[in-house]
Amino acid sequence: MSFESIKNISLYIIQRIVLTIIALVVLSFITFSLSYIVPGDAALVAAGPSAGKEKIEQLRVEMGLNLPFYEQYFVYLTKLSRGDLGKSWFTHQPILNDIKDLLPASAELVFFAMLFNIIIAIPLGVLAATKRDSKTDFSIRILVMIGAGIPIFWLGLLLQHFLASETGLFPIAGRLSFSNRNFEGSTGFLFFDSVVQGEWGVFWDSIWHIILPAFTLSVLFIAVITRTTRSTLMRALEEDFITLARSKGISEYRVIIKHALRNALVPTVTILGMQVGWMMGATVLVEEIFGRPGIGKYAVKAVTQSDIHGVVGVVLIVGIIFIFSNLIVDIVHLFLNPRLRKNSIGNL
Amino acid sequence: MFKLFNYLRSPIEKGAMIFVVFIVFIALMGSYLAPHDPYEANFKNTLSAPSIDYLFGTDAAGRDVFSRVIYGARLTLATTLFVIAIVAIIGIFVGIISALSGGVIDNLLMRFTDIWLGFPPLILALGFAASFGAGMKAAILALIFTWWPNYARLSRALILETKDKDYILSAKAMGVPNLRIIFSHLIPNAFDVLFVQISLDVAAVILVISGLSFIGVGAQIPLAEWGAMIADGRSASKAWWVVFFPGLAILLTATSFNLIGDVLRRELDPTLSKVKNEKPS
Amino acid sequence: MKKLLLLLFVFYSTSIFAGTRGTLYIAENETPENLDPANATNSTVDQLLVGVYDALVQFTAGETTVSPRIAKSWSVSEGGKKYTFNLRSDVRFHDGSKLTAEDVKFTLDRLVAAKGNTMNDLAFYKGAEVVDDYTINLLLSAPFGPFISGLSRIYIMNKDLVKPNLGDDNGRSWLAVNEAGSGPYKVTKYKPTEEVVLEAFEGYWNGWSGNHVSKVVFVYISEPSTQLALLKSGDVHIAPDLTVDDKVDLKGNSDFKVDIGAAATPLYFQLNTQGKKLMQNSLFRKALVMAFDRELHLNQVLRGFGNMPDGPLPSNWPGHKKGTEAGFDLSSAKKIINENGWAGTRLLVRYLPAIEEEKRAVEQFQSNLKKIGITLDTEGMTWPSQAATVQKLETTSDINMIYNFPSFPDPHAILNTSFNGKLTGYNGGYNWAQYSSGKVDALLDQAASSSDQNQRAKLYSKVQQMVGNDHVVITVSNPGSVVVMSNKVVGYKYNVAHHQTFNYMDIGLK
Repeated sequence: MSFESIKNISLYIIQRIVLTIIALVVLSFITFSLSYIVPGDAALVAAGPSAGKEKIEQLRVEMGLNLPFYEQYFVYLTKLSRGDLGKSWFTHQPILNDIKDLLPASAELVFFAMLFNIIIAIPLGVLAATKRDSKTDFSIRILVMIGAGIPIFWLGLLLQHFLASETGLFPIAGRLSFSNRNFEGSTGFLFFDSVVQGEWGVFWDSIWHIILPAFTLSVLFIAVITRTTRSTLMRALEEDFITLARSKGISEYRVIIKHALRNALVPTVTILGMQVGWMMGATVLVEEIFGRPGIGKYAVKAVTQSDIHGVVGVVLIVGIIFIFSNLIVDIVHLFLNPRLRKNSIGNL
Repeated sequence: MFKLFNYLRSPIEKGAMIFVVFIVFIALMGSYLAPHDPYEANFKNTLSAPSIDYLFGTDAAGRDVFSRVIYGARLTLATTLFVIAIVAIIGIFVGIISALSGGVIDNLLMRFTDIWLGFPPLILALGFAASFGAGMKAAILALIFTWWPNYARLSRALILETKDKDYILSAKAMGVPNLRIIFSHLIPNAFDVLFVQISLDVAAVILVISGLSFIGVGAQIPLAEWGAMIADGRSASKAWWVVFFPGLAILLTATSFNLIGDVLRRELDPTLSKVKNEKPS
Repeated sequence: MKKLLLLLFVFYSTSIFAGTRGTLYIAENETPENLDPANATNSTVDQLLVGVYDALVQFTAGETTVSPRIAKSWSVSEGGKKYTFNLRSDVRFHDGSKLTAEDVKFTLDRLVAAKGNTMNDLAFYKGAEVVDDYTINLLLSAPFGPFISGLSRIYIMNKDLVKPNLGDDNGRSWLAVNEAGSGPYKVTKYKPTEEVVLEAFEGYWNGWSGNHVSKVVFVYISEPSTQLALLKSGDVHIAPDLTVDDKVDLKGNSDFKVDIGAAATPLYFQLNTQGKKLMQNSLFRKALVMAFDRELHLNQVLRGFGNMPDGPLPSNWPGHKKGTEAGFDLSSAKKIINENGWAGTRLLVRYLPAIEEEKRAVEQFQSNLKKIGITLDTEGMTWPSQAATVQKLETTSDINMIYNFPSFPDPHAILNTSFNGKLTGYNGGYNWAQYSSGKVDALLDQAASSSDQNQRAKLYSKVQQMVGNDHVVITVSNPGSVVVMSNKVVGYKYNVAHHQTFNYMDIGLK
């Protein structure tokens, strides 16, 4: 690599990091504003319905509610930097702890949904592109259309009803069977913990429990990736260098996989990265139907309890994950796309 | 836009177009077509199976599911189009400013847009629901906040592509005021492409809105919104019709709009996919 | 012989000590808020604590009067302003230390400082005086008839254990996840998102004669279908949160018992008597009251699981008066509306859509009102938000739905809480109809400070009549507390003083 491109890459990365920080600040501003403008009295809610007026006033001062907006925002930022997301007025426990406990469950769901996504969508896309305009291509495209239009929660209910409640092929709800409910792992990631502890029963149990929810979550995204892979691969196959490769006598298989696909995957990977954010948001629906713990469910419960700090905490965490996954996608994109390395600064 | 009909190739695509027209028609004429009052509760006739009188059966409050699905079409489509209209206007506005200003402003605006591109609207909607109270208001606000970047990016790219074209340059040389150029040339040119995005977004927005209503953050019972109806019918597992028909309605509507959007994209400009799919750097 | 010994060994190995055996599994759909006794008015908290802590006196499941517990006996003096309690000397906390009057005083002082909800039922409590180790005086600023009943939720805690952990929030953080009780069961595991485990406390002062379980496990299952599956497979013994359909289905099944607890938690539409002009009109409110069909609600929504309401007080309670509330009569209601030109009025009702029964009641009401020319707008809220709206008169909606969960089976718990002018929403109470009638207040206060039960019954009769004539509330239902359990469960009884809890300390397994 030339000095020029190293310089470009580094500047690019630094620029991205600065933008990330700005994004985080904007995010914190929004989450703070959300908790600030809650109509009604935060001190009242924290004090409880039967507290006397003096107690409410006292709480108001303690919580700093009389300070001007910018001062309160500054206090909020300071607390954030220490990892203090406030206490749930309901459980009196720090919200960060609550979210930390539940995050692995949601993360697992997203991980497996992504896995299904990659395993199913990319081969389907390749198939459709290579057998372009055939019956196979056509059926795949129909499936894609349906997948992109089916509401996740409805699909979940149907799958749950037919594959779980009625036939018992899969469990109805939960992360583990009743008999395994006490399993405790050190990280909270069931699949990792159970293997580490050698508890293969628990491992397979958790796989059995995650199949339906993860698949439900992935359907929509599979549709998008299949379609993307198909179109990018189709275009890649039309490029000159492919014709060149073919004329050289390279086998069709190698032409497709080694040459065309590598190029076609670049935008696909980008979109996969962007889907992480959406998936984290959509976990709410799946967690609700399949009775799984997670930050989505936590946020919904917080809304029903008017626990604004709980909700805002989740928005913040999801936002942070979203912003960082974008950063990673950008950096990965940089290395995948040779053109960028040369033009990183000029082509902003 | 009416050239659309010529573009439909397969029977499935024709079917989709027919359905889209059908559902829009239902949305507009719904109040005259519904056989029963969608909000009239009748506790003597709860959870009854589909029959001649009640084509899709009744729900847990004895209301006619068929009538509610019809009303739901209007509610869903109206909200969706409202959101998309606002989002498109904001997005186009930002995109134009960005494209025409160039330089630092362009940079800043695009960076700002990038921050929000793809932020999960469901989570943000929960935040708004906690602040303002659950309801369509929270859902709509959250969608507006998270959706406009798509249009900003798209319109910026389109404007950039068009603004240096010969006929624009010559119009400027002739002294046509900038505003006129924007409104008479740039925007109409972009509109074809934007329309593709809009058509595809209708499906996506419908899914998000019904999702939000399902978890209780969007439309509130007794509003006949499809997602809310599914949530309401969940507890009565034997009465499958309460959950099935609204879900089917969402599926058919979203899929049809998706298909039409795809047709539009295919016909209007095959190179469009390149603009949409690649993350501009 | 060996086989017999082996059998006995196996049999007793499931018991922690002689006298208890087996593990009782109870499913619950709502995770507990925390373990703090100050929150014991919340049923998810009370559910766990009712057997973990002791109170001075307690309502045994199935009874409507208190019996002595930590207090052996008590006397009332100074015109009802001083209660002297003689405590047992053999009560021990779970850590082995003895319970004395100091612990009682500490508990009460801490509750006052922490503004615990459980103090709301002890209206005129002023303070406690320790006389000696086993004698304590509780002082009131004015006599209060139901005072003894109210003490049933005052769970006595271990001063030595709690005092060092008070911190700066009156021990709320520490007590949220720790217990300091003397009751028959100890909390040995508290993981609210999974399960909470209680184990029998060998040193319990009342001993372990009879059939009791060694362990109680509360598992948190939010899905009714999962609760049903676990009940059927025998993994849980008690499943309180099945769908109404499931409950109806299992009624005829001999493997299960469907217990319908005597209904004592009325649901009301509270009509804002100080609201807009039309709402202040008693005749208009009468039309509203006549527009709700309670029988239909009981049959269709509750599927018969409950009692037909007759006024705000449950029919089988002392002091109940028949026929005080206007019945369902849609045509008369319509007549009133038309004769006075009130058609076209718009009203707003606030309720909790998360509660199915409230949702259905609102839907029926809305539909009926439409028939008589009134439009009912609905606003679903969450509990804290709704509570916040009634704290100011200007923000109170025309109608509010609310349950009354009486802490003990005394008319005071329902009538005073719901209709006393000092406890209106804007005064911080649950009288969300903002009803303020000097005459009714006088009667309520008089009944509260009297200890003559006959006189009290007469006074409460008058209250119901006046409230009925003023058309303050629509009593929607008296829902039964329906619990489905395996037929292996012996000894379950609904406790009207501890709603939505289970008397696990009296339960044994077959």
